[in-house]
Amino acid sequence: MNEIKKTYKNYVGGKYLRSESGKTFRIALKSEFYEVPLTSRKDVRDAVVAAKKGFTEWQKLTPYNRTQVLYRLSEMLEGNIETYQQILEDSGLSKSKAKEDTKQALDSLIWYAGIADKWEQMTGNLNPVAGEYFNISHQESLGIVFTLNSDENSLNQLLLNILPSLVTGCSVISFNGDNSIMALKLAEDINNSDLPAGALNILSGKFDQIIDDVSNHVEINAMAIYKQLPSTDKKIIRENASKSLKRIFINPPVSGLESLLPFIETKTVWHPKGR
Amino acid sequence: MNTWEYAESIESSSIVSIEKKYGIFFDGQFQSPNSKKYLKTISPSTEEVLSSVALGNQSDIDSAVESAKSGLKVWSKLSGTQRAKYLFKLARLIQERSREFAVLESLDGGKPIKESRDFDLPQVAANFFYFAGWADKLDISWNTKGLKPYGIVGQIIPWNFPLLMLSWKVAPALATGNVVILKPAESTPLTALLFAELCQEVGLPPGVFNLVTGDGTTGAALVQHPDVSKIAFTGSTAVGKYIQNETADRDIGLTLELGGKAANIVFNDAAIDQAVEGVVNGIFFNQGHVCCAGSRLVLQEDIHDEFVSKLEKRMQSLRVGNPLDKNTDIGAINSKEQLDKISSLVNEGIAEGGSIFQTDCDLPTDGYWFRPTLFTNAQPSYKISREEIFGPVLTTLTFRTPEEAIEISNNTEYGLSAGIWTEKGSKILWAADRLQAGVIWANTFNKFDPSSPFGGYKESGFGREGGRHGLLSYLKVQS
Amino acid sequence: MSLTKETKNTLSWSDTVELIDNLRVDEVGLKERVASLATRSIKKDSKLQALNYIVTMCDLTTLEGEDTEGKIGQMTAKAIRPDPSNIEVPSVAAVCVYPALVSKAKEMTKNSNVKVASVSSYFPSGQAPLESKILDTQFAIDQGADEIDIVINRKAFFEGDYRKMYDEIVALKEVCSSVHLKTILEVGELRTYENIKKASLISLAAGSDFIKTSTGKISDGSSREACYLMAKSVWDYKEVTGFKAGIKVAGGIRDSKDAIRYLVIVNEELGSDWLNPDYFRFGASSLVDDVLKQIKKLKTNAYQSGYYFPRG
Repeated sequence: MNEIKKTYKNYVGGKYLRSESGKTFRIALKSEFYEVPLTSRKDVRDAVVAAKKGFTEWQKLTPYNRTQVLYRLSEMLEGNIETYQQILEDSGLSKSKAKEDTKQALDSLIWYAGIADKWEQMTGNLNPVAGEYFNISHQESLGIVFTLNSDENSLNQLLLNILPSLVTGCSVISFNGDNSIMALKLAEDINNSDLPAGALNILSGKFDQIIDDVSNHVEINAMAIYKQLPSTDKKIIRENASKSLKRIFINPPVSGLESLLPFIETKTVWHPKGR
Repeated sequence: MNTWEYAESIESSSIVSIEKKYGIFFDGQFQSPNSKKYLKTISPSTEEVLSSVALGNQSDIDSAVESAKSGLKVWSKLSGTQRAKYLFKLARLIQERSREFAVLESLDGGKPIKESRDFDLPQVAANFFYFAGWADKLDISWNTKGLKPYGIVGQIIPWNFPLLMLSWKVAPALATGNVVILKPAESTPLTALLFAELCQEVGLPPGVFNLVTGDGTTGAALVQHPDVSKIAFTGSTAVGKYIQNETADRDIGLTLELGGKAANIVFNDAAIDQAVEGVVNGIFFNQGHVCCAGSRLVLQEDIHDEFVSKLEKRMQSLRVGNPLDKNTDIGAINSKEQLDKISSLVNEGIAEGGSIFQTDCDLPTDGYWFRPTLFTNAQPSYKISREEIFGPVLTTLTFRTPEEAIEISNNTEYGLSAGIWTEKGSKILWAADRLQAGVIWANTFNKFDPSSPFGGYKESGFGREGGRHGLLSYLKVQS
Repeated sequence: MSLTKETKNTLSWSDTVELIDNLRVDEVGLKERVASLATRSIKKDSKLQALNYIVTMCDLTTLEGEDTEGKIGQMTAKAIRPDPSNIEVPSVAAVCVYPALVSKAKEMTKNSNVKVASVSSYFPSGQAPLESKILDTQFAIDQGADEIDIVINRKAFFEGDYRKMYDEIVALKEVCSSVHLKTILEVGELRTYENIKKASLISLAAGSDFIKTSTGKISDGSSREACYLMAKSVWDYKEVTGFKAGIKVAGGIRDSKDAIRYLVIVNEELGSDWLNPDYFRFGASSLVDDVLKQIKKLKTNAYQSGYYFPRG
């Protein structure tokens, strides 16, 4: 019970990286220990740099291409589905529950893959303004989103914390605690997919060690908190966010079109109609 | 050669009757404030005291919240169609009394009657009409589940478009089933007080619309009240940040519509004469007291001289003076405080090396006034190029390539609006995609419509007002 | 009233090409500006001043097949003294007639300041060879016309032969070297605002002293939008050449309120230098009657009946 089965690394800018601090923490699965990086404040800053590049690259893809990339990811997940089921089982789920969760995870991925090139048709519209003007509200990605993922032992929940922001074209810094093994395992499939480097970055660690740095970082445009946090933490996040008016979403929806709404900016364009 | 001067054509103010003193409005009635304190509201064009209005304190906010709670009980039981009917009636009444409102707005705020009559009031009525119609269609407004009103909404509005901002806030909040506590700006409370009378007239259930006048301390008490579950604020970025910070320990809804420093980009292939008009309207509309004002003219270098020459000529024709004169283009600066702020920023602009042009017009002796002002030879690093002046002051920056125009335009913490002037369609769409701003006006500027969402990127705030998107500011997703 | 301008200026064809290259007008923005100018509230003394301007700027016009010397007699008498009951009301600027009636008009106005203008160049269509247009124009001048109103060659314009349109005006200007040349664009046929601006600039570059909206012979005569664009063209041309051209609006301007709105456009877009008959004219037949009523109303505070004023 003291053997270290594997040491995982963070996944940042398309690379597997140790924490620059060299620190790790242990997560026990079944009878084995895994080491995962204890993300430092510097690691967060590096992840933001990577996410900025990733945002540019992810934005260059057409919505159709984003659908393709995410569908391809689902194929890869499906190919490795037993590995995920094993992690879920090793973390305490029954075989049938694990199977059910991975099935739901694949369904979620398929749903989000398929909405990448449609959501704007549901959230944008032409506005019937008075006068000779063409007026359209269309949507853009908010930018760099930090997600604090749920600790739940669930591949489906993990994807539901990442995909809403990712599918709207944001680049994502996904931060994980107890569910880090699952998340860092997912990084391997992400790495083999066609997702541009930096579009999705996966970190593990203790949130209270980086809470200030993340919520103070001006280049992180939004934080989505999918985990239950004590009110003191929420207060810290919102107070820091107020310095640059960072968008803070505490326990936002995790399904349906409403799950995407926090991550879009509405841009309304006017133009006259004349000869 | 003789000149043709336009004789004064004054809109009569006899249509308005202003009380000596106003209380706060809750439980459907005007009541004396618990604070027992009052503020004077003056006319910025004459410095004449118009009235005294309550300076609401914590205890007055408490009264308003209690009133709102009982209002919510009634309001939440009404059907959407019943709510719609109240809003339609309000819209109709506003139309019927629009001249009275317009005069009052110009008296209290200093804006030209031409604008309060032809812009503010028609838009106010239009907002109530538009959102009235949504009240019974919320279930088909968005492809989402579980949208519910917040309950008690606190709304704090600015002094630049007092009644219009009231309508942007109150109409969608009531349509979506919320009840409202409104805090109007310290310097412009009168039209909101008249609106409260209209609420009585249409028989709006008591407690649905509550109004507490006052200053910043009144607003703070509203923001801090634990039973207020949503704050909608329009005003400065500094206060917006304060509100986000102040409400950090509560799970509360926020809509913040804050400052701006909009770029108005003119390419060399623009329709120049219309671009000049657009630039003038962009910055001199409402004395430049507009959060989305096109305060940075971003001009392609090869047309700089021609454009500036036309712009200066056009600026000379702007008539500054009595807001009630139907021929006034630019009225009074809203307050002494704002005038001092504008003057100080302009002086810094001169000290930093900007070339200043101001028009020759005569200014009245009493009241607060500022000449239409244009800075050329300004650099992106100058304070006048970066800070929101919120007055009739335009700063010019030049660019060589489209990419450079975008870089200059986005080089700001603000992201409320932007303008693009070019007759080349693909360049408009290219630029619109790259400008980080919530509203893009191409070959036009400062256009508004109840159906058109408005709101900022970056530090210009979050949330949208107007249109289908505006409904989401007052509905939360209940999982 | 002097018709001599500070400078006489024409542009070469190549300079003209440069001037009309890449003309851009945004219709919605243009209309918005013109509508905004229409909200000016002109009252009291400034209204009386405007009404007097309008009288002095009027070209009292009759251009009908049925025109006779008798009709011209009536009109010229009215032109000289529009309101016999009020000697403060000035004469109009000119009378405008067909070439065949110029000599009669000239005879009737010889003891007054009222000028005689004549239409020519196969007004109103202009569908004739240049030689004929020159003869038509020369005849009117020989009859004594002080001012000549020609029409642009819309056929050439719509066929894209701007050079031909320009050359014709240059040729007619040569004929008109000693008289005042007003060039009619017929804005209702040009239809788009870019066409109006283009035709304005070509006409100015070819040597027109004035540009004029319409013949008055089609239903879409003058419009305030056209006047605004012509004012912008006049300004742009002045910036290039230093030459101050004039504008004549004609076609459908029937009442004082409308006419005052035109004056506002000229006042705010060009300035008070243009507020005199050397630089701005109204071509009209019934406008003067309404202006006279309004002047009398301002003086007496009573609304007036048409029978107080003589027929034109």
